[in-house]
Amino acid sequence: MAKIIGIDLGTTNSCVAVLENGVAKVIENSEGARTTPSIIAFSNDDEVLVGQSAKRQAVTNPKNTLFAIKRLIGRRFKDDAVQKDIKMVPYNIVEAENGDAWVEVHGKKMASPEISARILMKLKKDAEAYLGETVTEAVITVPAYFNDSQRQATKDAGRIAGLEVRRIINEPTASALAFGMDKPKGDTKIAVYDLGGGTFDISIIEIAEIDGEHQFEVLSTNGDTFLGGEDFDSRIIEFLAAEFKKDSGVDVHNDPLALQRLKEAAEKAKIELSSSQQTDVNLPYITADASGPKHLNVKLTRAKLESLVEELINRTKGPCEMALKDAGVKASEINDVILVGGQTRMPKVQEMVKSIFGQEPRKDVNPDEAVALGAAIQAGVLAGDVKDVLLLDVIPLSLGIETMGGILTKLIEKNTTIPTNASQVFSTADDNQTAVTIHVLQGEREKAAANKSLGRFDLADIPPASRGVPQIEVSFDIDANGILNVSAKDKATGKKQSIVIKASSGLSDEEVDRMIKDAEAHADEDRKLTELVHARNHADGMIHATEKSLKEFADQVSAEEKASIESGIEALKEVIKGDDKEAIEAKTNALTELAGKLAERAYAQKAGAEGGEAHHAEHASSAHAADDAVDAEFEEVKGDK
Amino acid sequence: MSIDQEKPDEVISAETEVASEIVNEEQPHTEVAEHEYTIEELKKELEEAKQKNHETWDKAVRIQAEMENLKRRTQKDLEDAHKFTLTNFGKALLPVFDSVVLGLQAATGESEEVKKFREGSELTIKQFEALFEKFNILAIDPIGQPFSAEFHQAVLVQAAEDAEPNTVINVFQKGYTLNGRLLRPAMVVVAKAPEKPSEDNTQA
Repeated sequence: MAKIIGIDLGTTNSCVAVLENGVAKVIENSEGARTTPSIIAFSNDDEVLVGQSAKRQAVTNPKNTLFAIKRLIGRRFKDDAVQKDIKMVPYNIVEAENGDAWVEVHGKKMASPEISARILMKLKKDAEAYLGETVTEAVITVPAYFNDSQRQATKDAGRIAGLEVRRIINEPTASALAFGMDKPKGDTKIAVYDLGGGTFDISIIEIAEIDGEHQFEVLSTNGDTFLGGEDFDSRIIEFLAAEFKKDSGVDVHNDPLALQRLKEAAEKAKIELSSSQQTDVNLPYITADASGPKHLNVKLTRAKLESLVEELINRTKGPCEMALKDAGVKASEINDVILVGGQTRMPKVQEMVKSIFGQEPRKDVNPDEAVALGAAIQAGVLAGDVKDVLLLDVIPLSLGIETMGGILTKLIEKNTTIPTNASQVFSTADDNQTAVTIHVLQGEREKAAANKSLGRFDLADIPPASRGVPQIEVSFDIDANGILNVSAKDKATGKKQSIVIKASSGLSDEEVDRMIKDAEAHADEDRKLTELVHARNHADGMIHATEKSLKEFADQVSAEEKASIESGIEALKEVIKGDDKEAIEAKTNALTELAGKLAERAYAQKAGAEGGEAHHAEHASSAHAADDAVDAEFEEVKGDK
Repeated sequence: MSIDQEKPDEVISAETEVASEIVNEEQPHTEVAEHEYTIEELKKELEEAKQKNHETWDKAVRIQAEMENLKRRTQKDLEDAHKFTLTNFGKALLPVFDSVVLGLQAATGESEEVKKFREGSELTIKQFEALFEKFNILAIDPIGQPFSAEFHQAVLVQAAEDAEPNTVINVFQKGYTLNGRLLRPAMVVVAKAPEKPSEDNTQA
């Protein structure tokens, strides 16, 4: 079954996830990493590198190593954001014929979606390698502030990559899905605090529940496109470099290897300080000068780190307050705050969030992966994957209606999980019956009256017909809340009546148990009664059919035969009044035999007359003509005539 | 809650009597009975049941197929987990090894102590190398080889007269693989590629 993948197409890093058996799961790429850098490089021999490998050769090929294309996609060349970007990146940003922002690589102009498509192609390939099947559809996320043109361009990138983009969803919405924000009942307001590698985004979202469906509306967004985890790393690196210079007199900025090691150590220290109060930055032989090797060994406390980055964290406050103001929402009205982006793991950041919104933020989903996981959840919904519903209610007792003879005919058995529905076709008990009463019952007893009555209603205006012929479709529908809808529809006229009942209306567990035990105790008794009723109903049907036949084939029946049939009918009518099942069955069989001979003859004559199947009595004349022929045939056999 | 037992019996017999005589009372005229199916109706029901059965079968087969896929993926995940268990530990151990190597390089003195220290360091390094080999951690030392972004990280680009362009002319730090998968790229200096006119201008 084709899967739809969820993709977080980020400015610096991208991530792909898929819904597997109801659980969203991040797919590792071919190098074993859970995220892929959003970097694309075109080498001299026209090779295209995507991800880590593109990053690794950047220094050898700066003009043709493209990154942060998300800043260009869907934008015009003349946009301020694009013009600003030109000064910051080593590759060429150019204007396309239609005015869009394109890039130029090895002298060739390429559209931004074309570049981003390369990342999507790699993610698609990695997903296919994992799933073992082709992937042709995806859900891709975009920032909430992306306009139509940017969203369309993202869709185009998907199309170029061979993916039908089933939906473009907002990143904060995707995160909200990953945190299960589509589960609570009623309307909620949430704040999504996204502090990633390069950008900070705050979004206020309103989630409205309409007819059981959850609708996400972004009320406001704000942020800082030049504030992220990398800035935090920079502060630490600068501090360590300064300390080292003080101690050794050497400036590591001049030593690329030393700088690289320092960068890695700084990031490592930052992460450690999220769970420890202090850490050692220990880099022996980091560099050397004329006087010999130099070692870097600096103790870094959490307090020191927090003072280094305090200003950065404070910069997130303003945008949050603006977002609340623009949304017309007070911090106290926010039901949940969710954290997205790796940098939110830092305790000081979480403290800031708590102080702004006055509540502990939700951090139970991996902040680096929340957006992709949310996209995968949306993808799963679109693909029609069944979401894992862990707890389902069941109905405690069977539900059905009262049928001829006072029997409970069950439509839904007890312990069926809800929501569920069932329907069955019933009919009238008498000729020319123009109405039926649907008496809804709950319980296990076969005897209708021994069960709990939930309600009743009539369906009238049934066109007159022989008993058993009209088709009355009775449907039971129970929704997830246990509300029961019972309807009766005359299939011929389309007329319909229905009632709504709260099925498990106030029955305690004890009462339910008692009713079940009751049914078990009376099981034999009930079964005998059912058999008796069935025998009666069957006898009834036989009487009815025979009386009908007598009328139909009146001319084919001798007075003697008629008399014997009629007495059979009378005898049966007598025993029906009693409770003797055997007697009823015996008399029914007797009548069946008598009537059978009549029917047999009548049908045989008809078959002979028409040479085909005979359902109903036809003209007597044609039968009569054939009569002689048949009689002649059977003359010898029918001795008692 | 419970209904009087006597009454139902009465009700039943009364109903039955009434049912057998067509009398104008409310009860029999609204009784629900079994529907007597005609052959046409039965045929239609059979078709619908066949269709539903087909759909259910289809669904069951799909779920089976999905399970097979899941089994396969889980198996691969497990194999990968075994193969690459040492990834995190290996990555963390490498800088420590680097320090030992750097320590040896820095010990340039000629005193007996230093000589002894050098000897000791060399043996320590041998220990490390044996350990790495045992666990399929292999070194990437690409000096003189063409630059490959798959296993190398270019830290610097330098002009070099006696080297082919795009080859590795210096290895700052060796790289390593674990069971074939890159653990850490080799940090290298790459010889500059010749200056192509089209690269420096933005000509179409």
